[in-house]
Amino acid sequence: MTKTETKDGARIAPRGMDRRLIAASLCALLILVLFLPMLPWIHIDNAEALHEAMQLKSKTAAALGNAYSSLTFLSFVQDSGKGLMGPYAFLLLIISVTAVFLLLYGLALVLIPGLNRSKGDLKRCGMLQKGMIFAFLSGVGTMLLCWFGNRSYGVSAFTVMWPGIAVTLLSAAAYLVSKNLEKEERVFYKEHGFMEELRRNWLLFVFLIPCFGFFLINNYLPMFGVYFAFTKFNFRDSLFASPFVGFDNFRFLFRSEIVHLTTNTILYNLVFIVVGNVLQIFFAILISHVASRRLKKVSQTLIFMPYFVSYVILRVLVFNMFEYDVGLINNLVTSMGGQRIDFYNTPGYWPFLITVFYLWKNIGYGMVVYLATITGISSDYYEAAQIDGANIYQQIWYITVPLLKPTFIILLLYALGGIMKGQFELFYQMIGNNGTLFSTTDIFDTYVYRITTTQPLSMGMGTAAGLFQSLFGFVVIMLTNFFIKRKNPEYALF
Amino acid sequence: MKIKDRSTMVFDVIKGILLTILSILCVLPFIVIISGSFTSNSAIIRDGFSLFPREFTVEAYNTIFKTPKDIIQAYKMNVYYTFMGTVLGLLVITLTAYVISRKEFKYRNTVSFLIYFTTIFGGGIIPWYLMYANVLGLRGTTLAIWFPALMTPFLVILMRTFIVGAVPDAVVESAKIDGAGHWTIFWKIVLPVLGPGLATVGLFQALGYWNDWYRASMFSTNSSTWSLQFYLYDLVNSTQAIKQMAQYASVNTGDLPTQSVKLAMAVVATGPVLLFYPFVQRYFVSGITVGAVKG
Repeated sequence: MTKTETKDGARIAPRGMDRRLIAASLCALLILVLFLPMLPWIHIDNAEALHEAMQLKSKTAAALGNAYSSLTFLSFVQDSGKGLMGPYAFLLLIISVTAVFLLLYGLALVLIPGLNRSKGDLKRCGMLQKGMIFAFLSGVGTMLLCWFGNRSYGVSAFTVMWPGIAVTLLSAAAYLVSKNLEKEERVFYKEHGFMEELRRNWLLFVFLIPCFGFFLINNYLPMFGVYFAFTKFNFRDSLFASPFVGFDNFRFLFRSEIVHLTTNTILYNLVFIVVGNVLQIFFAILISHVASRRLKKVSQTLIFMPYFVSYVILRVLVFNMFEYDVGLINNLVTSMGGQRIDFYNTPGYWPFLITVFYLWKNIGYGMVVYLATITGISSDYYEAAQIDGANIYQQIWYITVPLLKPTFIILLLYALGGIMKGQFELFYQMIGNNGTLFSTTDIFDTYVYRITTTQPLSMGMGTAAGLFQSLFGFVVIMLTNFFIKRKNPEYALF
Repeated sequence: MKIKDRSTMVFDVIKGILLTILSILCVLPFIVIISGSFTSNSAIIRDGFSLFPREFTVEAYNTIFKTPKDIIQAYKMNVYYTFMGTVLGLLVITLTAYVISRKEFKYRNTVSFLIYFTTIFGGGIIPWYLMYANVLGLRGTTLAIWFPALMTPFLVILMRTFIVGAVPDAVVESAKIDGAGHWTIFWKIVLPVLGPGLATVGLFQALGYWNDWYRASMFSTNSSTWSLQFYLYDLVNSTQAIKQMAQYASVNTGDLPTQSVKLAMAVVATGPVLLFYPFVQRYFVSGITVGAVKG
């Protein structure tokens, strides 16, 4: 065996598989086995007393089992029809699933050589440690859940079984072992951990506190609210105690609304993206060729102006143009001897009108983004092309357009990230609650808004629609970014 | 002076025509609104809307400013929301953007991604609404109306692009060698050269706040916290609704705000934005560069 350590224990050369890594991996494997649903983490002891305390009907009670794991406890909540323990069981499920996923990934990093691209064992340790933290939280969470259940029903019924306790202890031990190895690796590869970064750049962390607090309150904490998508939401049981109904809301949505909401939302966005970008590029190129600085600025200012109009004003505007009796368009039509057009009762016109007003509001913005790129193109290219005898169309087609590609791809990726997100304000202000037009104009955002403001009892349904929308969009952007990254990492968004 | 060839001349003509058409289309609706607000209501009802006022009058503006209590309140709230949102928002956006622009910060890409992630996945508006209304109990407060839009991921990333462009790494490095910490670098080196970035992001931010009706509609419990746009929305909406009802049943529409008053309100509500715009637009139209999430 070659000498790989100095006197004070610091490693001086890479070596084979470390014993600590093997131990941590074995722990991970064992924990994964313990997560198998047939191994009970929670046992229900005084079943009859509990069922009585929960005020269950005998038929419901008969369907309940008495042994559950952290992954299956939600089925107890669902079958019992009482939602009190639901949010905690849901949180526990999320934590447990995350633990399983991270541990599996950590094991894969250890076992599959090609997967680990980082220095030494750093990534392996990191992943295993994250998995261990979540496994530990699953164990502790199970204990808390039992305690909470016993306390709220006043019966000592829920008991933590040995697999739960074993996972808690094992994960703590494995975490410490892996941490020990990681520390050594860090010294060797001259990398530093979180604490060291905190010590060096503590002020940057302070700068981030408001940002952190904002996104936590505004975005990350509400994410847990997707729980409502699985409940029969009502305000009578407090916010988090409505009955848990599993995928019922989704089943209902899939039978009724989802297909047409999805197609509407995606089709509108595709049209917005394609037509919008083409026109923005087109007019950006035109403006870039305006010689007079003054004219350039004036036209830019004018074209950008609609962007500053609020959607409420847009509503006034659209109403004034397309109203049946006094609308501008109908005035023109009648003055030319035509029949008045009943826009507000004819769904067929609105996809076109919405697109036109979307473009009206947004051409200026995208145009300025593209114009910034065009301004950055070196004039050498054009001069060289002119010397070679290229005319203006050739210059545009062979120089400007290709150089706009990176900007286009970035904008496209951002837009694809929001492919399932409708332009809520645009649609809502143009259509409002005019039910006759919904067949061609209802998108996820307007549907959910309507539920929130007018049907509080369908909030579970609304959340389900929102969650579906969010997940769908998430998958689209992840896949797109993944493929772009493989093809050309330069263009990837993240 | 070089001689233009034929294709360039044709191109110039097409360019001129198309840009003129687009510019007119973009301005036309403004003219419709403004001219409508100066037209007498009876003329609108008789002849409908037109491009130029047929019977010029300031009657609509007189009506608005005769009973100004509600409007002044909504105006005041709007100024308040816009001020809070823009000043605080700019501060936290710039601080965050500074952090994720620093190459020596180990977690800059993680932080960027966590910020961007909120745009591609979320709980949806119902959990978001319940968070503010029920969990934090902020319904009816002004805080619930300005806080939720303080930062947007897009503006953070835009600001980072501005910082990276305005402050060369070498400058920061040499300041560091001279012993400057992040505090000094941020206030003394980055902020002073960040004018265009602050103007652009600030304008986006102010615009979002000035034009907001959504949060005011969600979180207001009475009209004292209404924003200007929501006040206008309510005005337009109730007239529209009553008018639709009037088609089926005989409802007295005499007391409703008239068409011209609504348009005058629209002008009053948009005016400040359009007045302010020319002063910042030179930063604004000089370019918005969009960068990737990763730094």
